[in-house]
Amino acid sequence: MVACQERVFRRRYRRASVPHSQRRLAWEFGVVRMGGRVTAACCTFLLVLLANGASAQQKIGDPPEASNMRLVGTSDLQARSAYQPTIHHQGDRWIAYIGHHGGTDDIPDPVNPMTGKAEPNGTSIVDVTDPAHPKYLRHIPGQEGKYESGGAQMVRICDGKDLPKGDRNAVYMLRTFGSEAHEIWNVADPANPVLVTRIGGLKDTHKNFWECETGIAFLVSGAPDWRTRRMTQIYDLSDPAQPKKIRDFGLPGQEPGATGAVPTELHGPISTGPQGNRVYFGYGTNKGGFLQIVDRDKLLNGPKEPTPDNLKFPEIARMPLSAMNGAHTVFPMPGMPIAEFARDKDGKSRDIVMIVDEAIQNECGEARQMVWFADVTTEARPMMISNYTVPEASGAFCERGGRFGSHSSNESMAPVYYKKLAFIAFFNAGVRALDIRDPYHPREVGYFIPSITAATDRRCVTVDGKDRCKVAIQTNNVETDERGYIYAVDRANTGLHILELTGAARAVAGLP
Amino acid sequence: MTRSWPVIAAMFLTLGGLSAVAGYEMASPPAAQWREIAWPFPRDGWPAGRAFHCGVAECGAEVEVYLRPKLGFCNCDSGVADDDEVDRVSDVDMISPRFAPLKVGDVVDVAEMRGRIRAYDVGMPKEKRTAIGIALSHRCDLMAVAAQGGGDAARVQRATLTFLESQEIRKWMIAAMEGR
Repeated sequence: MVACQERVFRRRYRRASVPHSQRRLAWEFGVVRMGGRVTAACCTFLLVLLANGASAQQKIGDPPEASNMRLVGTSDLQARSAYQPTIHHQGDRWIAYIGHHGGTDDIPDPVNPMTGKAEPNGTSIVDVTDPAHPKYLRHIPGQEGKYESGGAQMVRICDGKDLPKGDRNAVYMLRTFGSEAHEIWNVADPANPVLVTRIGGLKDTHKNFWECETGIAFLVSGAPDWRTRRMTQIYDLSDPAQPKKIRDFGLPGQEPGATGAVPTELHGPISTGPQGNRVYFGYGTNKGGFLQIVDRDKLLNGPKEPTPDNLKFPEIARMPLSAMNGAHTVFPMPGMPIAEFARDKDGKSRDIVMIVDEAIQNECGEARQMVWFADVTTEARPMMISNYTVPEASGAFCERGGRFGSHSSNESMAPVYYKKLAFIAFFNAGVRALDIRDPYHPREVGYFIPSITAATDRRCVTVDGKDRCKVAIQTNNVETDERGYIYAVDRANTGLHILELTGAARAVAGLP
Repeated sequence: MTRSWPVIAAMFLTLGGLSAVAGYEMASPPAAQWREIAWPFPRDGWPAGRAFHCGVAECGAEVEVYLRPKLGFCNCDSGVADDDEVDRVSDVDMISPRFAPLKVGDVVDVAEMRGRIRAYDVGMPKEKRTAIGIALSHRCDLMAVAAQGGGDAARVQRATLTFLESQEIRKWMIAAMEGR
């Protein structure tokens, strides 16, 4: 009944240029006029809901919202929109490398206080050895351009001593350079990085993966002649100074010269290396996609000409997702013991892939993007077994502004959390900590929604042809380190939040 | 009274006739040729749009046009970059997953939106048909248009563009892109 009245109310006021809050009030008065106890009860209920909705919108000065997670330290990252954090243990220091999206309409090139110059967003390098007092070391500018058209959003790190042909004294940072190139820098001295090499001539880039023990890199690229914006270019970067192209890879229909429908573009791969011999590719964002499981050996050593047959050759399985969801992160967790199946003669342990969709639209303007768990034990027949989303009503998240829904998970496979806890960036719902020990029944055990600051950028929706903007946290990506610290970065320029678990969530990880 | 009856009747007939002529002259000819039909495709990632049909008598061939906003296209600055983009986003794949471009596409402006237009051969089970794909960008959003017809590509394209430029459709597209 209430939902029905809500629909009528929306229709009645759709074309009037009345602010949303006033429309709700008008509707509320409409209900009051009906009179009677039921109506009064409804109104009380609605007032409580409205009060929650109003209080849910963040204000500068409000404390963070948290459960079983605690803020340890922050860095404002020079108020740059942040994408991927990667934390690296470098000698006796811990260094966070953070990729940035391009600038905003209001501030295309924020000023770097260390140089006094306006610089296009690129890569922030922050010493987080003392997580309570992060020290900003360096900003390396990226490609000129706003939002996803500029910046240097992705970053991966390998030590030279791990790479087969690397300089043993070097630490290599692989980063994207906007949409046009991939770059490798030597960051052995993180305050003074040195460019090593560049792979250019692309029409797009995105979420790369780099195997440090082999040097094989799966670079998400837009090769100019391919029909898709994002596919995979595989390089041997075992000697970062001498990149060697191995092959191009994508879904049949994306290759040069193909006709007909073009399958959804790649978001990012994760490899289990020569030992696991699998590469998991996530395609799509929020409008359909695939989990593709690929035989790594066949991919690297099979026929390389991009024909439909050759592209299909290394594929083990391709699981289509609903047209309402896509895959940002596909995180493999092979061989997970399932307590409930412990006494079963078969299937005691399962190979699991966690699939994280990416929300795109502000204020719930799309189907819910969330987290899915697929059992891929029988690889050719992967099956969804469970899912997780933040309950919208728990924070009136559709009202808060900005995106609400999942975006990405941590990708560290360090023992401290691997196969026990997963951390999901959920935009205006902050970081969510999931107990995934039973992936058939994932369970939220903690969360942290950072406070907004004066730097937090607004997010707008179009209502009746006009922009209506709100300011909300937009936790974009998250990563963990071997010590157990959790690093969340904000898409809306609020910076880096370094967190730790407390209470029951900490116990799940076995941390003291 | 009986003598004035024919005069009154004649006046009514005259006024009625004049009203009919005026109504006919004021009607918008292009819009009248097109009939809105139900969205003919199964649910996908984007909400259904609007579909229209034009018969042989009015358009010279059977033509159907499908159009819908895709809010959240993301290419906020670059817009519709190239013909590959039209292949991917214009919804021609809903008509048939097997389509081949007839030639390089062109830049097009419709309803104050810039984009690209491209013609295709569509592999249908029983006949060869022509499809037109149009992708128009507006800030970070996209209007996707697909059309199909039995005539040659130039005729289907002409009929489609004429239809898109009709006042009613222009108005609807602008409103749809503004979230109304």
